[in-house]
Amino acid sequence: METFNNFLGGTITLFSDPLGIVIFFGGVIGGMLFGAIPGVSMLTLAAILLPFTAHLSPEHGIMLFSVIYCTGVYGGAITAILFNIPGAPENAPTAFDGYPMTKNGQAGRAVGAAVMCSALGGTISAVIMMIATAPIANWAISAFGPPEIFALVFFGLAVASSVGAKTFWKGWLSILIGLLIAVVGLDPVGGIKRWDFGMPYLLAGIHFIPTILGFFAVTEIFVQAENKVRGSYQAPKLSVDFPSLAELVAHKVAVVRSIVIGFFCGILPGIGATLAAFMGYNEAVRWSKDKSEFGKGKLEGVISSETANNAATGAAMIPLLALGLPGGALTAMMVGVFQMHDMEPGPLVFLNSADLVWVVFAAMFFANLSILFVGYMETKTIINLLRIPFQFLAPMILCLATVGAYAVRGLAIDVIVMFVAGAIGFFLRRSGYSVAGIVLGLILGRIGEQTFAQAMQMLHFEWSGFAGRPIAAGLLIAGVLTLAGSIYGAFFKKQ
Amino acid sequence: MGNLRTGHIVEAAIWLGFCLFLYIYSFDFEQEIEIYKFGASAWPRTILLLIAIAAIGQLIYNWKKGDGSATSMIAQAHDDSTDGSDHNSLKWYLWTFFLLALPFIYMNLPEGIAAIMSLEQPGLHVAKLVVAAVVVVVYVFAIRGNHVGGILALPILFGAFLQDFGFYAMAPIFILGVMFLFGERRYKRMLVVGGGIFALLLMFFVSLLYVGLPTGNVGWFYDFGTSMVNILQ
Repeated sequence: METFNNFLGGTITLFSDPLGIVIFFGGVIGGMLFGAIPGVSMLTLAAILLPFTAHLSPEHGIMLFSVIYCTGVYGGAITAILFNIPGAPENAPTAFDGYPMTKNGQAGRAVGAAVMCSALGGTISAVIMMIATAPIANWAISAFGPPEIFALVFFGLAVASSVGAKTFWKGWLSILIGLLIAVVGLDPVGGIKRWDFGMPYLLAGIHFIPTILGFFAVTEIFVQAENKVRGSYQAPKLSVDFPSLAELVAHKVAVVRSIVIGFFCGILPGIGATLAAFMGYNEAVRWSKDKSEFGKGKLEGVISSETANNAATGAAMIPLLALGLPGGALTAMMVGVFQMHDMEPGPLVFLNSADLVWVVFAAMFFANLSILFVGYMETKTIINLLRIPFQFLAPMILCLATVGAYAVRGLAIDVIVMFVAGAIGFFLRRSGYSVAGIVLGLILGRIGEQTFAQAMQMLHFEWSGFAGRPIAAGLLIAGVLTLAGSIYGAFFKKQ
Repeated sequence: MGNLRTGHIVEAAIWLGFCLFLYIYSFDFEQEIEIYKFGASAWPRTILLLIAIAAIGQLIYNWKKGDGSATSMIAQAHDDSTDGSDHNSLKWYLWTFFLLALPFIYMNLPEGIAAIMSLEQPGLHVAKLVVAAVVVVVYVFAIRGNHVGGILALPILFGAFLQDFGFYAMAPIFILGVMFLFGERRYKRMLVVGGGIFALLLMFFVSLLYVGLPTGNVGWFYDFGTSMVNILQ
């Protein structure tokens, strides 16, 4: 009852303030648009808006970013489905089946499923977030230390290695390239320069936004360019036939499973929506009776990925607000908003700024709900982007990607990094490697190394220390078994 | 040789050579950290070891099963490999890598010339203009018969020119270049659509969101870039 009263209080505060309403709807539409426009993402919008939040109240600033987070994760699904360009890494698995659906003339069904499942996953996640923030945060705080987070990263990478590449080995090579890119720059323990080759730019590491833009947006353009030159380019077929409710009800098990996966992945700092989406998708494949249909345009693939990644958004706020630990780029920017107002996210926020917390919770609930309505209206407009001939769309996407890469840090070298990543991604993709695997390795690499170092320090550099931590040990064993099974399958299973 | 082809051996050799190269350079940061006995090099070297193992694993896989089918149906669906393509010959790769090297030649050559000839900033700018012109001419001749290579290299060339000549002068040329390489030959339509894309970008990002885009730093290009910013903002 107390939770409901708090939620009601947050809702009244949110919608009784005209400026709050404007910011809320600005965030909803802006997040969706920037998520959906090929070549830019919600992170681009957030980066551009960050300096301006100094002029807003903390409630408005944090609320704006949390709304952008919810709707931006959904918006990225549109480009993943229509152009094979995930707006963010968490939309990468959506493209696995969403894009083939577009090629099969079922873009509307895929986008419609993404709208409904994003709204459903996000809204349920927001409700659970409100009810269970305190107990779950307490459990995660006590049960998940660095050894467990490292073990979860390992397990996640082991599971994800089977997705996207031509063979198991190429899947692992893809992930390892990502891990290697993440190593460049200063080491997380001693601040020692690694593989900077005397270039000051590399000291700060290779920024993930230009790299992601390169591997996804630019590589896709290059692949389409080659198809066009070879005469095998197929323009996507248009349709706006959204899936029926019965069709979605038929996938209820996948939805529930993805909500659970998404929520538990999202709650852990640094893991977030990306692993949630990959695991949601992988579990859908694992439990499916007809695995062969995945990757060819199966609706369940889109449903699982999009439910899981939006289910992670609510959960991702728990470590941020309860512990002050950002789980990803956007939540890290939220820490910046707090700091601009001389505040620190963490347990004290619940004590000193309960109003802020409940306004943010209410805003996230309604933002997810609004995906259902605004998403439908906006999607039909965006699907029309497919009518633009590719020779006109390609320079537009490349220019948007250029602005997005440059806007992050104001460095022209980021633009070059993006285009070089695009060229590398082109060669790797045509050789059967997975660009999604590279990006997952890149994002989880830094977290993996940092938590591994912390874990080993905690365990006094005794490997056997992992055995004394049941969750960490369980995840490591599960990861090793997954790998062993994949190696066995690669060598000994008949083709 | 089993099912091995030369391409499989070259692929494995590239990975192993890459690992060896980075392993040698990892000695640059092999330093002890007081609170962390593994030091800064253990994690990267472990990744290199795993890459080497995976590359050998892939080679053994190729030896046993050739190119084989993907280990999963999902992977098959994502298979963009182009074994039967015209764009898979050694000549095509060499030609394409030459095109991809052009932006990096531009990024390094003017400074080298300026250092040798002891040029001041105006001289360096002239060197940049001359080298840029030569690189563009070489690029135009080199892309004949290799449109894919041309498309791969053009954005990197655009990125390399961005700092010196600015977004405002380079983006229209880049937009028209991409359209041309994608096969568009209706020049009036190219100008109208290209102009529209450029105008939309400027209005949305520069006029509305005040995003600072590179203005360039070479003579006339810098003046042009800053005057565009003044007009738009």
